Amino acid sequence: MDNPIKTLQDKKSYLDLRKQERVTLLEILDRALEKGVVISGDIVISVADVGLVYLGLKVLLSSVETMERLRGAPFSGAAEEPT
Amino acid sequence: MKIYAYGVIDSNEKIDETMRGLNDAPLFNISYRDIGIVVSDLNAQIQKEDKKFVLKHEEVVEKLMDKFTVLPMRYLTLFSGKEQVLLMTKDYYDDFIENLDRLREKIEFGVKTIWPGDLIRERITTAHRKSDNLPLVASSSGKSFMNEKFENYKIDKEFEEEADRCIAIVDGFFSKFTSEKRLEKLKTDNLLLSASYLVDKEKKDDFKKAFEELRGSGGDLKYLLSGPWPPYNFIVLTKPNAKKFGSLDMVDSVFQRKDRT
Amino acid sequence: MNTMIETDSPEVFADEMEKLQDALPKKIEANPENAEKGLAKLVLTLIELIRKLMEKQAMRRVEAGSLTDEEIERVGETLMKLENKMKELKEIFGLKDEELNLNLGPLGDLM
Repeated sequence: MDNPIKTLQDKKSYLDLRKQERVTLLEILDRALEKGVVISGDIVISVADVGLVYLGLKVLLSSVETMERLRGAPFSGAAEEPT
Repeated sequence: MKIYAYGVIDSNEKIDETMRGLNDAPLFNISYRDIGIVVSDLNAQIQKEDKKFVLKHEEVVEKLMDKFTVLPMRYLTLFSGKEQVLLMTKDYYDDFIENLDRLREKIEFGVKTIWPGDLIRERITTAHRKSDNLPLVASSSGKSFMNEKFENYKIDKEFEEEADRCIAIVDGFFSKFTSEKRLEKLKTDNLLLSASYLVDKEKKDDFKKAFEELRGSGGDLKYLLSGPWPPYNFIVLTKPNAKKFGSLDMVDSVFQRKDRT
Repeated sequence: MNTMIETDSPEVFADEMEKLQDALPKKIEANPENAEKGLAKLVLTLIELIRKLMEKQAMRRVEAGSLTDEEIERVGETLMKLENKMKELKEIFGLKDEELNLNLGPLGDLM
């Protein structure tokens, strides 16, 4: 007859192993899917499966940061009525 | 028929023929000057989310890590042929050399920290509502809107300041042993810190000991250590994409370099 | 595999990290069927970015006390209208907040 305590411990370590596997996989995905040597970082908008437009969004990000840095610079744009 | 790339290594020699890649295809090293790109032929369509393939990719990269300095490719980096691989390598050669030199004999460790973010945010919110120190007399709709936004803004700000304090403490355990780090804070409200540390191979045990100290430091934070990894988070490419747009700070990255003589 | 994980609470970390997977913004697909939606997503994402930055800038100025009462009222009205307009547009195109984000590769997510 199986020692019940032994079985419970086995079950617990089995579940722990599954949790470890889950975390390990997530850690791998976290790195391999987004990091490493990334050859292209632009957004590709594919129209009918043809990669047409590379968006230079990084340029936008840069300009906006500059905008943030210029405190007190024309905020009047926001106070105007949006069309 | 495509070519699947696993990583850049600091060797232009043939690699061990028993090593296998995705779909059990043999690995080979496409050499360019004094470095090489480790690849395999790929026939099938691969789905991004296919667990089996990501694990295989990682397994290959880690095997390479045992023998070489390796810059792991992002998963699913494909080329249409050997020519394209060589063209890419020519373009990025200087970057690859810089990275291989900088990352030689180094490994990456991951440290994640979970804190009771939900509870902390609640506590801050309650405290703010209680003290009722709204800056404006809310007599009209524009002002009421601004009041509400402002309150949220203050709560967010305090929450982040609290996070920064805790992160500094956690980070303090490891700074001694690392040459570079990347800290991502509050990826979710509860995931206080997701950090990657670049550590000399010989300091591996020191780092692990520091983690044990952190873990034993008490409090209701939870910690996770992972590694050693190939240096996914420490690849720095300066061309051609980034270079086009001038100097751009990597927004969330924080890194320190030891002065090299 | 070489890499090991050490933690007392694997399931807690797994839960948190899985939340991140769900939130991953995707590539924008524009084919004849959903061209409108793909482009709408892109445009609205950019507007949201600017709107949130304007809100943040306004908050900083309220904090610094550099807006007059009248300015606060006007800015508040404007931001409120913008916010409502965005809600409308999101509804019209069936887009959720999480969808209005873009992955910029090594730069991370736009917002």
